[in-house]
Amino acid sequence: MTANAILGIIIAALLSQNFILVKFYGICPFMGVSKKIDTALGMGMAVTFVMALASAACFVVNKLLVALGLSYMQTVAFILVIASIVQVVEMFLKKAVPALYKALGVFLPLITTNCAVLGVVLVNVQNNYNFLISVINGAAGGLGFTLAIVLFASVRERVDKAESPESFKGYPLALIAAGFLALAFMGFSGLSIS
Amino acid sequence: MKTENTALYILRLALTLFIIAAVVAAALAGVNSITKPVIDQLNAEKTQKAIEAVLPGGFDEELANFDNQGGLVSKVYKGANGYALEVLPSGFDNTITMMVGVDTEGKVLGISIVSHTETAGLGAVAAAQTSAGEAFRGQFVGQSGSVGVTKDGGTLDAITGATITSRAICVGVNAALACVAGLG
Amino acid sequence: MNFKKQFKDGLLDKNPVFVQLLGMCSTLAITTSLFNGIGMGLAVTIITICSNVLISALRKVIPNQIRIAAYITIIAGFVTVVDLLLKAYIPALSESLGVFIPLIVVNCMVLGRAEAFASKNGVLASAVDGLCQGIGYTVALVIVCVVREFLGSGTFGGGLLNGGEGIRILPEGVPAMQMVMPVGGFLAMGCILAGFQYMTRKMENARKDKEAAK
Repeated sequence: MTANAILGIIIAALLSQNFILVKFYGICPFMGVSKKIDTALGMGMAVTFVMALASAACFVVNKLLVALGLSYMQTVAFILVIASIVQVVEMFLKKAVPALYKALGVFLPLITTNCAVLGVVLVNVQNNYNFLISVINGAAGGLGFTLAIVLFASVRERVDKAESPESFKGYPLALIAAGFLALAFMGFSGLSIS
Repeated sequence: MKTENTALYILRLALTLFIIAAVVAAALAGVNSITKPVIDQLNAEKTQKAIEAVLPGGFDEELANFDNQGGLVSKVYKGANGYALEVLPSGFDNTITMMVGVDTEGKVLGISIVSHTETAGLGAVAAAQTSAGEAFRGQFVGQSGSVGVTKDGGTLDAITGATITSRAICVGVNAALACVAGLG
Repeated sequence: MNFKKQFKDGLLDKNPVFVQLLGMCSTLAITTSLFNGIGMGLAVTIITICSNVLISALRKVIPNQIRIAAYITIIAGFVTVVDLLLKAYIPALSESLGVFIPLIVVNCMVLGRAEAFASKNGVLASAVDGLCQGIGYTVALVIVCVVREFLGSGTFGGGLLNGGEGIRILPEGVPAMQMVMPVGGFLAMGCILAGFQYMTRKMENARKDKEAAK
């Protein structure tokens, strides 16, 4: 893998193939935890951390499964690995970095069911990425998630205050705002480095 | 809970989870043993069909030694009329698996998309059995050397709204052509 | 248990997509053709019924602390079974839905039903709950699919009718292909949701008027 290829993967994960706005992974937290900018940032950081860690761990687990001829167990194994990672991260942060735990703690249990995490792991495996690229893809995907959710939260803080027709109040308008954000990100789709 | 935190209780937790996981694993092994032959058969048929679509007369042998063009070319089948190459360019969403037929003079005989996850109605047109899909794939027939879409200074028309997919397929075809050129 | 109420809950009052906004990832990502919508809806329905039944049956055996891990393992098992079966017997659907089949594991609707319903209710009621919620999910997906396919591709029944091409309603060149792209997913979903809220509010008002008239 050349440096260019790595840069290409990072840019794709951040912008042109943004996990939320282009690939639709992780919409639940995107809608649920995007009412305030700081909580959105907290969620984003927690997800980024878990995605990078899960990419690394699942790479190893997948090698093991393939070696044993058990690749049909992928989904089950991956989700258990992700759930354990989330649990371990939670316990570790609670003991070691209480300040960070206080900031991220409430989001951690939600991450297990964030499709962005399982999604990135499955994409890594399907594309046969090596260890380094898997971890980079995981971390960059997480940062892309953070970027999208923080941008969306700042849009939403304003949208929620605006006058709108009764039927559009709440989620409908939020979804339409997300649509325009996705439209903006479509502009990146031609972006590639080769 | 009176028994909470005792070693026995923790053991019960671990054991319950272990049993559930073991039962799930056993059930999956059972299902897998039924579906695996069917899936393998389907994949083999698909590859066979794709080869026949791009290489008239089919193939005689699968080559083991070839330049994989940076991992793009995964398989090379040799037949009387030329080669069929399985190439794996990165599309808009994921890797596209496609078959490219190249004759002995280095001209494209045809292309067919084996599997992809491109956007329905856009990139997916490249693989669709529709007039638009056939027109797109037909452009490649007879090409040699290096191909590209008009946006990149090439001669081929990209699929409307799916430049990335069209480019990816050009990348795949170019890899196949370069690989065959290397075979001599 | 009142089955009629469960059915109405699944379809309208507590519709997993339009009211609870669960499983949005797949709702937005795969709703580009009728085939996808029906396929995804049925897959999720079957998985929800199975996982609801098993989890309900085991609800007294599974200790509270590890219940989420146990549920996820069971759900992942069923998802893999469906994934393998689709790959073997309906490969076209498996290809069309791609990674979103294994991602049903983290579809909040399935886990949500396990946690909110199956862990507290009997086997039969849980099965009915899975079926009703699944139907609600499928209907919602199909509505989004039909709207997006019509506006984005100008067809109806893509992947299913007319040899896979769907029945063309709008002439080529008219439809806005952005509607089958991510942007369209958000926009269509937002507008459909607004329509749904409008409809439920109208129904609510009509009910109130009726009560007032009494």
